[in-house]
Amino acid sequence: MDLSDLISVPAILPALKANSKKQLLQLLSERAAAISGIPEREVFDTILQRERLGSTGVGNGIAIPHGKLAGVKRIAGVFARLETPVDFESLDDQPVDLVFLLLAPEGAGADHLKALSRIARVLRDADTVAKIRGTRDAAAIHALLSDTQASHAA
Amino acid sequence: MEHAIYLVTLVGTALVVAAAFSSLIAFRFGAPLLLLFLCIGLATGTDGLGIEFDNARIAYFAGSLALAVILFDSGFGTPLNALRQAAGPALSLATFGVLLTTGLFGAAAYYLLDLSWLESFLLGAAVASTDAAAVFFLLRAGEINLRERVRSTLEVESGTNDPIAIFLTITLVEVIAAHANPETNVLVTSLILGFLVNMGLGAILGALGGLAIVRLVDRLNLDHGLLPIFVLTLSLMVFAAAGAVGGSGFLAVYIAGLIAGNSDIRAVTILKRFQDGMSWLAQIIMFLILGLFATPSQFPAIMVPAIALGLFLMFVARPIAVWLCLIPFRLPRPEVAFVSWVGLRGAVSILLAITPLLGGLENGRTIFNAAFIIVLVSLVIQGWTVGPLARRLGLIVPARLGPLDKVELELPGSAHHELLAYRVAHGSPVARGERIPRWARPSLVLRDGRSMRFQDMGRLAAGDQVYIFVPDRYPRLLDKLFASRAVVDPEDADFFGAFAVDPARSAAELEAAYAPGLTEAEQKLTVGALVTARLGGHAEYADRVLIGSIELIVRDVDDKGRITGLGLSFEPTAPVARVPVFLSAGEMGDRLSAFIRNWRKPTETQEAAAQKDEPPEPPVERATTGS
Repeated sequence: MDLSDLISVPAILPALKANSKKQLLQLLSERAAAISGIPEREVFDTILQRERLGSTGVGNGIAIPHGKLAGVKRIAGVFARLETPVDFESLDDQPVDLVFLLLAPEGAGADHLKALSRIARVLRDADTVAKIRGTRDAAAIHALLSDTQASHAA
Repeated sequence: MEHAIYLVTLVGTALVVAAAFSSLIAFRFGAPLLLLFLCIGLATGTDGLGIEFDNARIAYFAGSLALAVILFDSGFGTPLNALRQAAGPALSLATFGVLLTTGLFGAAAYYLLDLSWLESFLLGAAVASTDAAAVFFLLRAGEINLRERVRSTLEVESGTNDPIAIFLTITLVEVIAAHANPETNVLVTSLILGFLVNMGLGAILGALGGLAIVRLVDRLNLDHGLLPIFVLTLSLMVFAAAGAVGGSGFLAVYIAGLIAGNSDIRAVTILKRFQDGMSWLAQIIMFLILGLFATPSQFPAIMVPAIALGLFLMFVARPIAVWLCLIPFRLPRPEVAFVSWVGLRGAVSILLAITPLLGGLENGRTIFNAAFIIVLVSLVIQGWTVGPLARRLGLIVPARLGPLDKVELELPGSAHHELLAYRVAHGSPVARGERIPRWARPSLVLRDGRSMRFQDMGRLAAGDQVYIFVPDRYPRLLDKLFASRAVVDPEDADFFGAFAVDPARSAAELEAAYAPGLTEAEQKLTVGALVTARLGGHAEYADRVLIGSIELIVRDVDDKGRITGLGLSFEPTAPVARVPVFLSAGEMGDRLSAFIRNWRKPTETQEAAAQKDEPPEPPVERATTGS
């Protein structure tokens, strides 16, 4: 699975400003709603529900909030690079500045999980992450995320 | 006369110093240290530099005392919860395991060596005991963090199986030396009776002795320098007293150590340090003497059958014995495989092989030489593969805490308080602003060479030295607060799963988010309870549970065994080598019922059964010794 299948250039927010985890999730939901046509409230509630089970901050300033929604047609994501990191209740206590929100249809099952672990893997690559942090260009971030080398380095 | 004293002392100390130096080499190369000690003994002995030492009596006497010291220390250092956790499997191994190994090995020895049946079993009994000292040294040297249950099982097994192997060997020597040719059933009944008396007396006297040691240490206000020597002497007294009245001195001294070490004995730090050193010295002396005592020029005569027997012991006898003994316990197969591979033979086996010589048995030398070669084979092959095997079987867990800089100070006249000195590490919770709990009383802080009251300090900074006055049983919490962050590399992120799950949340939420296919009843549990239930009621740090297509990993467990942190992974890759053998009774039941269900409704359950069956793979032993 290639990350470029999951995310398009308009779904990338290259220099987002947010003050809190809640505001960050709201802004991401807003963009996801604009792309998928699902009400923003529904997206936000689903994501927040999953956060209650445990933070999706995976450490090193990265978070991958996710959830399943009935109205979603296919697995798709929104990516944000934050200007200033916000606290995300991550396990390592580090504030988060790179966020990949992933929405999946209700019946996605294994593909949903596969996509999540692919994202986690790509964002674990220190090189890729450093490059993403160093740019404010949505297209460049998209290229980095879908860089075949990084996504096959696993 | 005087000259002789100097000469003997010079040679003796030179040997010990050489052994101590070799420990540096061993730490660097991970070589089995005890093998080095043995080699130093061999190299300087009859066939090497030519030190003549042929006194079986002295060798056995010194070896027994050394073993008593080692066993006391090993009991002293075994925490009660390790014992509780591992008592079942470990005792099964120490009793039936020793008997089974003796029997299987004896049968093979009868056909491979020119020995009678009883003599073959005698050799079997001698090599049936596990020397865990070697294992733990290897694990420590390789900085390998073994899973708790395996560690405790090996620790307790090795402490308790020596007395049983010793009893068996000595009884057999006596029977053979008496030239009696007893009826089998007479032999067996007298063996069982003797065993019960021996172990019973040993256990009782050991327990009484242990309590007496604790009492005496508390009552008598002995000088701190004298105290450890006093305790050591008392432990040897327990050993001797139990032996003198016909009990097992070795069991007694182990139990005495267990009791003394687990009661709030005074000056525990000093005692531990001293016994640690004595244990080292005892090991060195034991191996040196045994190495000196051996005559390698006699080895070639039985080299081939002895090596074959050593391999048989490693690949057949011990695995079968371990498997049978552990069937009743639901131990995961990799753990069983590891326990069976880590049946390292050591000094005790060689020591026991001296007894036939003492008993004046005709084939005494053959038995001794065979045992010696078997121990060498085991130390070389198993000793060198312990680390890689543990890694392959997935029994190594990442260190829980990062490095910690702590000094414990004994306070005079008080058994119930302790002064701890911590250096605040970079990135430790206290350096990041975490508070020190109220029950710990931080009294003094040293910063830049100046001492200040804790109350006058602001936030602690890295490099501060904090003195904390705590009541005796301080929990691990303080260590956690002061330890630097454990290094988690990407592999560990794989290990613990990328995402976190709060164990206190309801499992229904987990079902809603990932649909792993939980039952109605399971959805009523919390996630933590669900994981504990799936693990059979006992969760341990780094345990993993596969639920549908998601995997939950235990990240942390509190003192009471409750899960306090869980990781979530969507890549349930089994990093663990699959072990096709060593099924436990539970698994056999599972397979059997799956088979029956399958047979009744062939179409419905075929798919599930196909997932359960594992592809045939070569046994793990063979797979790892090659690498």
